[in-house]
Amino acid sequence: MIVQTLAFYLFAGLAVASAFMVIAARNPVHSVLFLILAFVNAAGLFVLLGAEFLAMMLVVVYVGAVAVLFLFVVMMLDINFAELRQGVLQYLPVGGLIGLVLLVELLLVVGTWVAAPGIVASDPTPAPGDLSNTEALGRLLFTKYVYFFQASGMILLVAMVGAIVLTLRSREGVRRQSIARQNARTRADTLEIRKVQSGTGG
Amino acid sequence: MTEGMMTEGFWQGYAWPTIIILAQIMAVVTVVLIAVAYLTFAERKVLAMAQLRKGPNVVGPFGLLQPFADGLKLLTKETIIPAGANPVVFLAAPILTFALALMAWAVIPFGEGAVISDINVGVLYLFAISSLGVYGVIMAGWASNSRYAFLGALRSAAQMVSYEVSIGFVIITVLLCVGSLNLTDIVMAQKTIWFAVPLFPMFVVFFISALAETNRSPFDLPEGESELVAGYFVEYSSMSFALFYLGEYAQMILMSAMTSILFLGGWLPPADIAPFNWIPGPIWFAAKIAACLFVFLWVRATLPRYRYDQLMRLGWKVFLPLSLFWVVATAGVLVAFDWVPK
Amino acid sequence: MIPVAFPELAPALPEILLAVGAMALLMFGVFSGDRSSRTVSWLSVLLLILAGIVVAAGGGAERVTFFGAFVSDAFSSFAKMLILLGSVVAVLLGADQNERDGQARFEYPILILLATLGMLMMVSANDLIALYLGLELQSLALYVLAAFRRETVRSTEAGLKYFVLGALSSCMLLYGASLIYGFAGTTSFDVLATTLQQGEPAIGVIFGIVFLAAGLAFKVSAVPFHMWTPDVYEGAPTPVTAFFAVAPKVAAVALFVRVMIEPLGGLVDEWRQIIVFIAIASMVLGAFAAINQTNIKRLMAYSSIGHVGYALVGLAAGTASGVRGVLIYMAIYIFMTAGTFAIILCMRQKDRAVEGIADLAGLSRQRPLLALALAIFMFSMAGIPPLAGFFSKLYVFMAAIEAAREVPILYVLAIVGVLASVVGAYYYLRIVKIMYFDEPTEGFDRTVSGEVHAIIGVSALVTMFFFLYPAPLLTAAATAAAALVKG
Repeated sequence: MIVQTLAFYLFAGLAVASAFMVIAARNPVHSVLFLILAFVNAAGLFVLLGAEFLAMMLVVVYVGAVAVLFLFVVMMLDINFAELRQGVLQYLPVGGLIGLVLLVELLLVVGTWVAAPGIVASDPTPAPGDLSNTEALGRLLFTKYVYFFQASGMILLVAMVGAIVLTLRSREGVRRQSIARQNARTRADTLEIRKVQSGTGG
Repeated sequence: MTEGMMTEGFWQGYAWPTIIILAQIMAVVTVVLIAVAYLTFAERKVLAMAQLRKGPNVVGPFGLLQPFADGLKLLTKETIIPAGANPVVFLAAPILTFALALMAWAVIPFGEGAVISDINVGVLYLFAISSLGVYGVIMAGWASNSRYAFLGALRSAAQMVSYEVSIGFVIITVLLCVGSLNLTDIVMAQKTIWFAVPLFPMFVVFFISALAETNRSPFDLPEGESELVAGYFVEYSSMSFALFYLGEYAQMILMSAMTSILFLGGWLPPADIAPFNWIPGPIWFAAKIAACLFVFLWVRATLPRYRYDQLMRLGWKVFLPLSLFWVVATAGVLVAFDWVPK
Repeated sequence: MIPVAFPELAPALPEILLAVGAMALLMFGVFSGDRSSRTVSWLSVLLLILAGIVVAAGGGAERVTFFGAFVSDAFSSFAKMLILLGSVVAVLLGADQNERDGQARFEYPILILLATLGMLMMVSANDLIALYLGLELQSLALYVLAAFRRETVRSTEAGLKYFVLGALSSCMLLYGASLIYGFAGTTSFDVLATTLQQGEPAIGVIFGIVFLAAGLAFKVSAVPFHMWTPDVYEGAPTPVTAFFAVAPKVAAVALFVRVMIEPLGGLVDEWRQIIVFIAIASMVLGAFAAINQTNIKRLMAYSSIGHVGYALVGLAAGTASGVRGVLIYMAIYIFMTAGTFAIILCMRQKDRAVEGIADLAGLSRQRPLLALALAIFMFSMAGIPPLAGFFSKLYVFMAAIEAAREVPILYVLAIVGVLASVVGAYYYLRIVKIMYFDEPTEGFDRTVSGEVHAIIGVSALVTMFFFLYPAPLLTAAATAAAALVKG
């Protein structure tokens, strides 16, 4: 057990520390790299919970794909971050106030949870005994939650269509490669062999 | 007495397993590193043969000590960090690349039961690790503060992300036929027939995507030496360069290992009959990896480099629809004939 | 593991039809390019009508499917019919307008179809997750539609503004939903309803309701979450604005009503205060802020804020007749708004759209029929009998006063409502005055297509002669309300 506990504190500590560094780092690229570190540590925590499928998916999807694009964008953006930071002080009072209100509310809510009058025990789906968690997840997702699964698919479709509608510009006069046409070309189409008479200049 | 039990428990519970695991890791890492060393050698020999040259033949018998001489040379050189570079990220990038290339070997089964960690989601682990490989490249390209390196990194990242998608779908088709994410189960499911036969188009897609994923020719645009000098590691020297180099070749061996596990029956002999099953599994596995690696080198010696738009076109417009179609078709066939595993 | 029965698909048939149809049309559009936009538009209209027929055929019987996540009953059927009607109008208006502006793109009807799908899912949601997913599907499509004219700064600004604020409101809604889930232990509406009726609710649930109501109030653009409305209405392309003002509003109001009455029905005393506040603030702001507007789309934005306030009066009553009032209100609101926006689409000079209220000056002399139609809509919105708008207000106020015997605060609500509609009448009648008594400026182009004129004509006739034969709408709304408020 002690190894698990140590591993938990390692992952949790690193996750919290790198999450803090995400907002504290001066260089935005460093922020994103710390974000990735936080994701990886979260995946480690998933493994400790026995949710290995989720852990791997977190790495594949968030670290392997989403964060790469993030990093791309941040590297390409030419933003003066020192200038951006000057605005922080200006908005700090309002932002801080809202944050404080949310914090107080959260404390209140958690406080009542601890005091616990009238809280109904939640009724999560019971853990299936002999299935690996990949299989258990799949069975649940494609039966009980199939509606939500399909609905999420539609949302992603809209996101994709939207991105294309808003950004795709078809330019006029672009010469595109047509591999079929290239392959269909024969020597007869393009080459003409002429006998040139010497001395006639043509 | 309690103290004695404590020490005994400590030995039984922690120290002994730790020593065993460390020994296993050392064994695997040593083998992989030696394989990498000789892969670089093999590459030069194969290319030489293809071009009717002799290749390295001076250091040691047949030039066999050449890779070690190269390694020693790189080790003794000075590590130069460019003035405008971001030193921490600059140095972290090659370490990351190399570490990731070795980490993946933790789940590769060399024979029945011969695996460091036989986890449930082995193939996902491999996929996750290979999807992390792109960070080494991006970090190197960005931290070098050089436009050639950055361009190379951008190209490479776009390329790796694109081909990962079709690799993911290919893996899914295999998983549909196996019903498990465990690598040992995947190999054992090929007892009757290797997946390369029924899933032949996916095998081809996977292998070509593996070429692109490892930035190998004909998809080696990120390092295109004629236009980008050497791509993302143009600013690297000595050991930091060597780590990239080692990582890249280890990645090649890993991709070959994945190809053999997913499609060529891993450590299984081609048929379970007399002369074949005398040879132990790990040897078969090594032979299959070697065969795949030979194709890697063969392709490099034969094909010219792709143009960048052609590369993207192949990934998104050919492989992605094809592999998506095969996922659906495989699932349909499995259900229609009631061949779904379990 | 016990094999699970395949869920029954029949109750969700309209949604499935729309989803599959939208994807098929998308493929058709992609492969045949923007030349096909007119065909895609007409096929979309056909698809929406088909979905409407399926909804009608499904009738009012309560059918639950997808393991309790989806419900189809008289209430949802009523709302779905209104939403589909609004979407048909939006597709028709958009097809005409986009083509003339050289912006004919086949994605426009597809995005409307997908948004409509989201709305149908919203009104049929029987689970907090289903609610959120439907809402998000709808909103995402609307963000894109708002920025559809990507080459104009105003449209992209509207899209971006809508997106950022919409994302914020979704966050609040999710925060509320997670609090409710945490303290009630379920996301299913049915279980929530029984759980929350037992004893004093936990403070977490109350917090959850506040956040949930805030998120929903944003989606119906009620005060104090209305700030995005004028800017988005003004910036978005006019057919899209017409769509925003019609279909999503009905869907969001219907969702609001269902969430408050069904799962949170046991806590009516807790949430009534919120609704009363929102309703009063919306009515008052809608009435006063519209007075100074010079842009007709902005004016319609404030007007829609006000109308949502009136509709919420019926919800505040929390009774069956209150819900009936809301439904009647939304039904009549659709006709008035669709007609008004069709007229705004006709406001074109020298092949350019104009949006100033002053541009309407003297319309009665150049286009008497158009002016008459707009006058009918304006009188109706102001609530002048015997036009339809008067009856819609009448039913919500009657419901409020009925319920006020037990909850005296509803008297205040009804009185404020009446006063606000008197103030509101000022700016509606100002438009009529400009049309009939001001000196005419340059006339409008006469290039608008027949569909737009048909929409204006039908809406004007319905608004004008509703009082002659109100029975079908009243009974349908009453059945729908009875399906929601049981006992």
